[in-house]
Formats: sequence, C-alpha cells, structure tokens
Amino acid sequence: MEQRRKERLDRGVKVRSDGLYALMSWRELSYLTLPRLVLILGIIVLPFVMPNMYWQRVISIVCIYALLALSFDFLAHFLGLVSLGGAFLIGVGGYISAILNTTFGLSPFVTIPIATIVGAAVCTLLLFPCLPLRGVYFAIVTLMYPLALKRVIEALDLFGGTNGILGVDSFPNSWVEQYFVIAMVLLFLFGTRRLVNTDLGLVFRAVKDNDQAVKASGMSITYYKAIAVFIASGMGCLGGACIVHIFMWSGISLFALDFSIIPIAATVIGGGGTLVGPVLGAFILVPISELLREFGTLRIVFYSLALMAFIVFRSEGIMVYGERKYHQFERWVKV
Amino acid sequence: MLEAADLMVFYENMLALNNIGVKCAERQIVGVFGANSAGKSTLMYTLSGIMEDIRKKEEMAGGERITVLGQIEYLGQDIMGLKPSARARKGIVLCPERRRIFKESSVIENLRIGGYLASKSQAKETLDYTFELFPPLKRLKKRIGGFLSGGEQQMLAIGRALMAQPKLLLLDEPLLGLSPLIQSLLVRATRGIRDERGISIIITEQYARPVLPIVEYAYILENGAAVLEGSRDEVLNNPDVRSAYFGMSEQ
Repeated sequence: MEQRRKERLDRGVKVRSDGLYALMSWRELSYLTLPRLVLILGIIVLPFVMPNMYWQRVISIVCIYALLALSFDFLAHFLGLVSLGGAFLIGVGGYISAILNTTFGLSPFVTIPIATIVGAAVCTLLLFPCLPLRGVYFAIVTLMYPLALKRVIEALDLFGGTNGILGVDSFPNSWVEQYFVIAMVLLFLFGTRRLVNTDLGLVFRAVKDNDQAVKASGMSITYYKAIAVFIASGMGCLGGACIVHIFMWSGISLFALDFSIIPIAATVIGGGGTLVGPVLGAFILVPISELLREFGTLRIVFYSLALMAFIVFRSEGIMVYGERKYHQFERWVKV
Repeated sequence: MLEAADLMVFYENMLALNNIGVKCAERQIVGVFGANSAGKSTLMYTLSGIMEDIRKKEEMAGGERITVLGQIEYLGQDIMGLKPSARARKGIVLCPERRRIFKESSVIENLRIGGYLASKSQAKETLDYTFELFPPLKRLKKRIGGFLSGGEQQMLAIGRALMAQPKLLLLDEPLLGLSPLIQSLLVRATRGIRDERGISIIITEQYARPVLPIVEYAYILENGAAVLEGSRDEVLNNPDVRSAYFGMSEQ
C-alpha cells in the first residue's frame, strides 16, 4: 500500500527574504512589506469608506478595543499574566482624563498623555501586590478592581457618583478623533512588536516560560512584570482616556465587563501571541456585534455561537493560520 | 502479543521514527536502547497512543503537523488510530518518562486514580501487591506526591501503571536520574512484575547496563532507526554496541 503524507515547506520567497537578499529585489521586498502596508493602509482608509457618522464612531470604538486586546495579548502571551481587567484600565484612564479636563480645563491632547502615564502608574501600583505570584491571582485581582471601584464611586458619590462627569471636551472634529485613535493603535501595535524582540522582550518571555530560572539568573521577576504591566496598562488607560473624550462623558459604565471580555474574545479569534491577531480580531468582532444589534438581546446568542464555532473549528486563530499559509505551502509526498 | 511494523513518525518534516518494527511476546521483557533523540520516547508514545493525543493538540493549536504511519497489531487486533484511553482499556499502559505523577495528590490517591479501570477487588489486590513490591510507598501512603524523592516518585509511577491492570507495560526510562541502589531495586522489581504477574514489559533506557540482566530481546535505536536487534547475547556480543551502550570497552 502506498502511503502518503502532507508536507509543509517554506516558500522560496520566504527563504530568500529571510536574509539581506531581501533588499535586492522588489519581489522579496514586497513579500516582506506588503502585508504590513495592506494592514496600515486598510486601517487608514477605513474612516473614508464608512457610510455615516454612526459607523465612523464604531471605528473609534473598535480601535479602543484593539488597544485593549493588544494589551491583553501582550500580557498573556509574553508575560504569562492573564488579565481580566480591561474595564479597570479603561476606568482609571477615563476618570483621570475626565477630571483633568473638567477641573483644570486642559485640552484632550494634554489630558490623554497625562492620563496614559499617570493611569499606568496607578494601575501598576494597585496591581503590584500580586505581581510576585504565579497563577490565577493576577486574573482575580484585575477582575475585582473594576467591580470594587464602580461600587466605591457609587457609594461615596465620588466624581459625580452615578451621574458621572458631564461636559468633557470632545476632540476638535470626528476626523481628528478617528485618526488619533488609529495612529495610537498602529503606534502601539508596531511598538510592542518591536519591544518583544528586544532583550527586554526576551526576559519577558523567559518569565513566562520559567520564572524560577529567571530568578536564578539574578533578575527580579517582579521588576520585569511591573514594567510589562506598566506598558500594558498604559495602552488600556490610553483607550479609556480616548473613550471619555469621544463620548464627552465619564461614568461608572466605563467599568463595564465588556471591556474585559471582548478583548479576550478578539485575541482568541485573531490568534494569541501574534499581536496583530488581536487587533484584527477586534476589527472583526466589534463591527459584527454592532451589525447584530437589530436582533436585540438575541445578538449575544449569535455572538457566543460564532465564538464557540471558532474555538472548536479554528482554535489556532486567524493570524496563526494566515501566517502559515503565507509563508508555507503544502504538498502530498510519498513516504 | 504486540507486533508493530513499519512505524514511521514525522514531526513536521523531521523523521522521528524510521521504519521501525518492534515485537514483544507474551511474558517477555524487551529493551529499547538509544541515545537522546534516538526516538525512544516517540516509540513509546506511538505504541501507547499518546501520540494521537499530541497530534490532535498540535493540530488545534496550529503547531507542527505530526504524521504517524505503520501498523500496530496487539492480541490479533489492529490498534493503530485508537485513542490512548482505548488502548489502556485493552491493557497497554504507559509509565511515562519523568514519572508525571499527580503532584498534588497523595500516594494512595495517585494509586487509586491509576486503578480507575480495575474492579474493586482487583484494585485492592494490586494495591497490596504494589506495597509489597515497593515497601517505602506503604510508609508514605499519606504523603503528597510532589514531596516524594525521585526514586519514590518512580516507584509510585510504576505502581500507578500497575493499578491499571496492564497486560503490556511500557516503561519509559524508569531509571532516569536515580542512584545505582534505587536503580537495581527497580530493575529487580521490574523482573518481579513479569515473573509474578505475567505482564509483558517494554523498557527503554539510555544506558543499557543496569537493565541488561533482565532483558530478553533488545533493539538499538539510532536517529530514529533500529540499527540492531537481537537476543540479549547477540546484542551484547556486538563490539560497537558494547562500548556505546553498555559501557564495556574491548581490552
């Protein structure tokens, strides 16, 4: 009986473009740069092709989810910290930005950077106690903070209590708003991709693989985890600060569980560990959930069914699958 | 009893097992020897069916594609493609490399999990036999598995495999990282298992000398291929093998 198996091989153009040879021909250069260009240009033209104001607003929200998904993927697949605290980051960043804007009258372009950095510092500080630990502690603590903060604001009537902070300045116009968040997504996407390949990123991945060996090499895992949490919280807080200026309002709905769950779903769909995947996942998931809005409450059912089908049939994620198809081809060979 | 022929395993495009045939007769102890990366563990995973599980998980995660080809006949049936649990039910039980005991369960719990397939009376009988075979385990009954020493963990792993009522026991590097004293104890116990319970055993090891006295037939693997096979004496008298695997040089 003749036995055959399917073989996977790297495409010739991939092998050629691995080294310096890539600079020598347009074919190899475009093989390397085209996917990135398609992604960047695709996101940039997106606001133009949107039919109306409503969908342009959706683009901004998608970008904020993309930032959160990026932050989740970075922490989960490069540090081994599973964060369920998207809502926590959004809330902290959002409230800081809103307070700065309404009390001190600072413009959004000043409050957003401040909220990003101060918010990231606050989040890192609050999460610091569970950083030396391994396991579910980080996930649980990040899940609890938004729930707790929401009730604290409600009960003590802080920052406007249940009414929230009204009258936050918006961006000058909707184009600035969209392109600002789009630029931020691209900046952080390519920034983190670069970061995980530096020496620092190497240590991050080592912490994920075996934290005891990292300790034995004389490095403090708490220190490195704190750096990573600072970066990831920065992304989340930036998203929160933007969302406050988009909706011109800050309230306890910033601590909604959606901000924690959808980024995780986006990471699953896009392919964890690729960093691009989660961004793509957000660009697929959030619009779908908007499209399903006319089904009312049933949309959650469709949404979860789609997610489950995805996990069962394509659990590797779009990006992992796509990268493999792009770099490799398959053929049957006789054994 | 077990007859595997033309076994080929590919990890993506890397050939891990190349046309290997392994036979194990009733009440026989078969040794499989080879250096690291020779394919010993791959062979054990393929025989026990764990490879099917690994293959599926890799496929789900979008990782390497694993291809398994060949035939495995066990008690007159083709078991290729059966799940590891189905093979365990038929009596092929793997005692995995690096022991893989349940670290957070106590010794007695570990053994009872192993006895899932056994009836109550069988389990009780095997439990007594295990304690008789490995007296230290009886003393450590309530100890948490992760706190046992390496040798005790290995005893526990073998005991757990025995609890599943195997007809064919696959021991994957049972002597890994153990002191000579414990090694000889385990080797004696292995022979005892065969003699007293009539269980066939396939045992893999890198360094053949400690297990050599009990092995009746041996295969030498190199880079995934069987370079030599034969009865103990045949293998032992091969000069290349003597120096490479048995640590005996020609004087």
